[in-house]
This record gives sequence, structure tokens and C-alpha cells, in this order.
Amino acid sequence: MIKLKNIHKSFGRQQVLKGIDLTVQKGEVVVILGPSGSGKTTLLRCVNYLEKPGDGEILIGDYHLNCRHAGKKEIHALRQKSAMVFQQYNLFRHKTAVENVMEGLLVVKKLSKEEAYRRSAELLEKVGLGSRLDAYPSQLSGGQQQRVGIARALALEPEVILFDEPTSALDPELVGEVLEVIRRIAAEGITMIVVTHEIGFARDVANHIVFMDGGVIVEEGSPAEVLSRPKEERTRQFLKRITPEPNYSI
Amino acid sequence: MGAPFDLSFIFRFFPKLLDTLGLTLLIVAGSLAAGIFAGFLVALPRMYNVPVLKRFSQVYVSFFRGTPILIQLFLFYYGLPEILKLAGIDISKAPVLFFVIITYGLNTGAFLSETIRASVTAVNRGQIEAAYAVGMTGYQAFSRIVWPQALAVAVPVFSNVVLALLKDTSLAFTLGVMELTGKAQTLGALTQHFVEAYISLALIYLVISLVLERLLKLAERRLLRHEQPVSTGGGRFRLWFRLPRARSYRQLIADANAGKGGAEL
Ligand SMILES: Nc1ncnc2c1ncn2[C@@H]1O[C@H](COP(=O)(O)OP(=O)(O)O)[C@@H](O)[C@H]1O
Ligand SMILES: [Mg+2]
Repeated sequence: MIKLKNIHKSFGRQQVLKGIDLTVQKGEVVVILGPSGSGKTTLLRCVNYLEKPGDGEILIGDYHLNCRHAGKKEIHALRQKSAMVFQQYNLFRHKTAVENVMEGLLVVKKLSKEEAYRRSAELLEKVGLGSRLDAYPSQLSGGQQQRVGIARALALEPEVILFDEPTSALDPELVGEVLEVIRRIAAEGITMIVVTHEIGFARDVANHIVFMDGGVIVEEGSPAEVLSRPKEERTRQFLKRITPEPNYSI
Repeated sequence: MGAPFDLSFIFRFFPKLLDTLGLTLLIVAGSLAAGIFAGFLVALPRMYNVPVLKRFSQVYVSFFRGTPILIQLFLFYYGLPEILKLAGIDISKAPVLFFVIITYGLNTGAFLSETIRASVTAVNRGQIEAAYAVGMTGYQAFSRIVWPQALAVAVPVFSNVVLALLKDTSLAFTLGVMELTGKAQTLGALTQHFVEAYISLALIYLVISLVLERLLKLAERRLLRHEQPVSTGGGRFRLWFRLPRARSYRQLIADANAGKGGAEL
């Protein structure tokens, strides 16, 4: 289980997160929706301390951290509990696909080379890249790179995988293959927090939807509640804006 | 002036000059080692924005880039013992080579520090964050992710610095060091065949430069192999394949400015 309590974050004077509380059950998929600049990325980055929250508590699995007294050691321990899939993939450019996945297994999990390779090849197979193990990121399409990114996150067997707009940087025709992979691993019961604008995906895959705006959670609930019968005006406005217009062809 | 030109002297001088090649290479290697160390030390305050030290490293870089290396040699050779004497340290007995390597090392460091800084920042923030997200420590992220890529970006500039250093070592003879140039002077004076001695000398520098350049080119290609699309065909496609590579290399640098600032680590 993941529990965020009263997470605050400011950049200079600008308060970006104004006390976020969120609980994610084991095996649950939580989708975070919200307009650009509402603090979604910042919230995810606080969960693995790529941003240092000003205040609050983070509980992941059996690990509990109070943001007021978090030293290097605590941060390092917290990071081992989660994995992240980035909007820009952020693969290690000097490493092949399989080496990208192996890296965490070798350095952090301290597996042997053979074992790390075996597990990594298996995971890449699973995301449909079994034939591109030795390709460098520069030789892969965006969709393929993102699938490597997902395999890299899976390899760590984290309590939760954080996805920050995993398909926003992709060409439209590549979005489907990545969403399909995420859908598949969601079905395996991996706990995930996903920031996305793909409403269709959210409706199908999410157990719980959170709508954020202006650094607070405005509304949350099941996909049916939030997407079909939103209570808040701000949620309604947002959904109207991002739902694709009916496509009239001439 | 001097004896009439005689081609055979050029060849006769080769083995004699090559006797001192080791010393020249020793100066180059020693200065490079000292230079990489100094360059790193000086780049750190600028990378991590340490107020007073940053200012100090700027002064250091300006001095070594803005004054002739010959003056730097004289200042260190004649000046350093005097200054240290005031502090009660006597280094007047230290070998000349010591002063030569210190000077060239600090000089090289000044030129390398900027390259080191730029190459490290050229590795985009996103990869470092990915490393942290995977659970690496700061040191692991630097040594496994940043450093190998920074090295690859730095090689072209590094090559220039090495070649400049090789040629600059020819000034060490002004302090009486018997390296290649010093030896050529002596041979010229001894035989009065100055021109032949200098031709011989120039050829040796040229060959070493070409060899070093070639080696560094190979190193660069190996370090940057991840930016090259897989080559499927033979030589005919070489030129064609170069285009995407040049682009992705630039991309690497462009990426440097992309990332947002993260938490202090
Ligand atoms: N490193 C940073 N420094 C300063 N401001 C930032 C930084 N990161 C994000 N912000 C600001 O915080 C707000 C929320 O950003 P973000 O979390 O990226 O929103 P979202 O992901 O929902 O679009 C924005 O106003 C953004 O400009
Ligand atoms: Mg965002």
C-alpha cells in the first residue's frame, strides 16, 4: 500500500502542492488527471524524492518516511521502493536495451551478470522487444524506447511504478503499443500511479481516478464517478476540454 | 650560415632525436595526468556553484589561457622557489622536469576544466534522474551513467589539448631540458646542419601527432558507438550513415538544456 499524507511542495514562493493526501491499495491502478501546471509531475517526483517535499509523509509498503527528517540514507531507501517511467523515456544512451534493464539489477539489486541478463531479456521479451536486446536507444523508435523504460521499471520489482505521461512524447501511431504494454502489466496486478491525458485508457484500466488542479486534489473516485458523473465544475470543464471533438470527415 | 645542406643528415639525426622521444612523451603524459586532475578540481566549484572557489577557478583559468606558456614556464621555474622560500619551503633543488610538468599540467588543466564542465552538463539531467529513480547513489549515477558519456563528448576537445600540449613541450628546452627540441638545437649547433635537424624534428612531431590523433579518433568512435546506427552494409554506405550520427550527437548536447532542476542530492 502507498500512502501520501499532506504533501507540500513550493518552488520559491510558488506553492505547487498544497497538501496532497492519497492512498493507493496494493495492485491498484490510480490515474491522475489534471490540466497542465496543476502539479501532477511534481507529485510523482515527490514520491521518489526527485523533488524534495517541503512537508508531509510518504509510506510505501513497509517503509515510512517523514519529509521533515529525511537524510541521504532514508531517501536512498525510499527510492528502492518505487520505479519511474518518464515522459522523455530517459534511457541511458550509452547502454543497449538489455543493459538499460540490467543496470538496476546489477548496481542496486546486486544480481550476477548472468542472472541480470536472463531476467532483463525475459522482460524485454514481454514488452515485445525480444529481438532488439542489443539496440542502443538511438536505434529505437520512441515507442520502443518507452517500452524499454517500462521493462527497466518492472525489473526492479518495486512496490509501485510511477508513470509520468508515458505516451505524451510519442507520435500518435506509437501511443497504442505503449498503452497496450501498460494495460498488460496492470492486469498482472502491479501497483501503478499513472499521469496521463488518455481518457480512454483511464476509463478501461484505472481502479481509481484522481483529478488535480492548482496543487490540490479536486475530486477522486471510480472511473465511472469521475469521468461520467463528475461532481465538481472544474472537473467537468477539464473533461470537456480534453475529450476529443467528434471527428466529422468530409 | 652553417654547413651546406645535406639530406643524409636528416636521416642520421633521426635515431639521435628519437633517444629523447621518451622524455617528451613523459612530459606529455605527466602534464596530462596533472592536467586532468587540476581540470577536475577546477571544474567542480563551477559545476556545483560554490561561491568563493568558483571565483578562484575563474581567475586560474583566465591566467593560464591569457598568458603565453613561455612566460608561465619562467614564472614557475624562477618564481615558485622564491615564493615558497618565503613560506620556508626550499624547492630550489627540485629537478627542472618538476617545474615543467607542473606548469604544463596547470596550463592543460585550465583548458580541460571548461571541457570537463561542458561535457558533464551535456549528459542530460533526465538520465541522472532515471539513475536515481532506479535506486543508484549519487556516486553510482556519476561513475556509471554520466562519466562514460561525458568522456565521449570530451574526446574531440581533449585531442586538441593533447596535440597542443605535445607541441608546447618544445618550449621546455628554454629551461635546458633535453627533450626533442633541445636535442635538435644541440645537434644543429654541433654539426652546423641546423636546417636538417629542424626538418628531422618537424617530421618526428608530425608523425607523433598523426599517431595520437588516430588513436584518439578510434577512442572517440568506440566511446560514441551508441550514437551510431547499426551499419549493415559495407564501405559504400559509410558516408550515408554519417548524417544521422552527426545529428544525434548534436541532440546529445541539445538535450543538456532540456531538463528541469531537481532536488538537491
Ligand atoms: N523545477 C521547477 N522549478 C520551478 N518551478 C517548477 C519546477 N517544476 C515545476 N514547476 C512549476 O510547478 C507547477 C506544476 O508543475 P508540474 O508538476 O510539472 O505540473 P503538471 O505535471 O501537472 O503539468 C508549474 O507551475 C511549474 O511551472
Ligand atoms: Mg507534467
